[in-house]
Amino acid sequence: TMVTRSVCQVLQRNFASAAAAARPPAAEVHSQRNAIFSREQARQRALYPRIEKIEVSMQGPGLDGTLLVMNKGMSTPLSCARHLTEHHVTNSVMALVDGKPWHLHQPLIHSCSLTLLTFKDSDPTLVNQAYWRSCAALLGQVLERAFKDEFRAELLSIPEVPVTSGAFCCDVVLDPQLDTWIPSEEALRSLTRGAQQLIHRDLAWEPLEVMPSVALEVFSDSRCKQEEVEQKAAQCPSGTVMLYRCGDHVLLSAGPLVARTGLCSQYEVTALHSLGQGAWGLHRRAQGLSLPLQLQAHHTVWRKLRRRAEKPVRTNITDFFLTRLPKSSDIKAKALRPARRRRAVSVLGQWCGLMLPHV
Amino acid sequence: MRLALQLLISHGRVARRMGLGPESRINMLRNILTGLVRHERIETTLARADEVRFYAEKLIDYAKKGDTDEKAMKMASFWLTEKDLVPKLFKVLAPRFETQSNGYTRLARIPNRQNLDRAKMAVLEYKGNPFPPLYPAKKENELTIINQLLKGYREERAQQLSVKV
Repeated sequence: TMVTRSVCQVLQRNFASAAAAARPPAAEVHSQRNAIFSREQARQRALYPRIEKIEVSMQGPGLDGTLLVMNKGMSTPLSCARHLTEHHVTNSVMALVDGKPWHLHQPLIHSCSLTLLTFKDSDPTLVNQAYWRSCAALLGQVLERAFKDEFRAELLSIPEVPVTSGAFCCDVVLDPQLDTWIPSEEALRSLTRGAQQLIHRDLAWEPLEVMPSVALEVFSDSRCKQEEVEQKAAQCPSGTVMLYRCGDHVLLSAGPLVARTGLCSQYEVTALHSLGQGAWGLHRRAQGLSLPLQLQAHHTVWRKLRRRAEKPVRTNITDFFLTRLPKSSDIKAKALRPARRRRAVSVLGQWCGLMLPHV
Repeated sequence: MRLALQLLISHGRVARRMGLGPESRINMLRNILTGLVRHERIETTLARADEVRFYAEKLIDYAKKGDTDEKAMKMASFWLTEKDLVPKLFKVLAPRFETQSNGYTRLARIPNRQNLDRAKMAVLEYKGNPFPPLYPAKKENELTIINQLLKGYREERAQQLSVKV
């Protein structure tokens, strides 16, 4: 049975690499996704051609009785914050509209009561969870762009992990050619650097609520994303899915994200574990640790948290995969081979000028 | 008049000497104490605040006996020069400190006076007053993201240690 299995695997790999060759280049895929997102966004904005006024009553410390007259379908919670103080603009992470979580860039469509949420609220659980999700989304964005064009990285769904687990994570399937690749310290560092460049650019996450047909069109080149869209649409009572765009990266999210990448301050990619063979190839799990600008850690505390974030995060799916992990001795043997390691570094490098010659 | 080690070795000078004489001192303290009962937070020199603090606490002890008590009423009407404060003492302050047996006041140093004498200044207040707190309230929130991460870290450490043992 071992022989047949390995033959199957080889066949599968050959098939997968043939499929990869047939795929359009990554840049084209991104621009196409972007174009569909922009088109849908423009269509939704055109739904409110006349300016109509709505009344937004602000809730929060020192804001009781504040009533703002805003534009329907055009004003966002962020534009409400801009009518208050700079503190509200820089420190708001999310909003609550009539008690429901609302993205800071999503237009308001009816008169409502609005609460701006920050990291330092008395109960920031909702904000923390959104922050964790956003950091994982950022990690996914970095992973998708970090590899050279000939290596395709496919993002799987982002597992929801609680903050107390110590690290956020993002599942990814790399090109079959990279199945033997062991990420080095430098590779992780260059991923970190990629994330920090995105944070420095202070990009907004633009939300867009779309019908599943549009989302399927956006992800028309990725089978696993399409499955995720169908799953999400089935779960949602209104039958719609939330798309987000950060820079030129379009993603699907399980819940609300924070307002912009600039809210992160300390950010580090700590590990890239492999979870074993899954439905789409060798599943890998990237892990990271991040803290917002408002709540930074001293470097001694950060080091401890970082060390913990390197350990594999357990979710229900992980436990299933970890039983099928290859022996650690195999991995070590591969990692020690110098030629392999040098090639591993040359895989990455778009972000940090680590462009080493191909081996 | 407070007894302390410093006073035992002070060669017969057992109290601060304030005002023009003993009677003047008592009158001055009465006026300050009346102000304290009215406003619940006052600003004076450190020496006067420190002297009047003893009488402020003692007055509450008497007020706790109730307004039917003869001695309590006598003390209240002596120490409060403005008689409209007597009901406040019995109806507001005494019930407020029912659960406490001492420590009804709080004394805090503030910067020295800026005029020529540069006297040490202090704020004296009855606890439980409606003003903003003298010291900033310490905010400890276990639910912030960094505290949640540290909580996870501590729990994991405790688990590892228990496994080792």
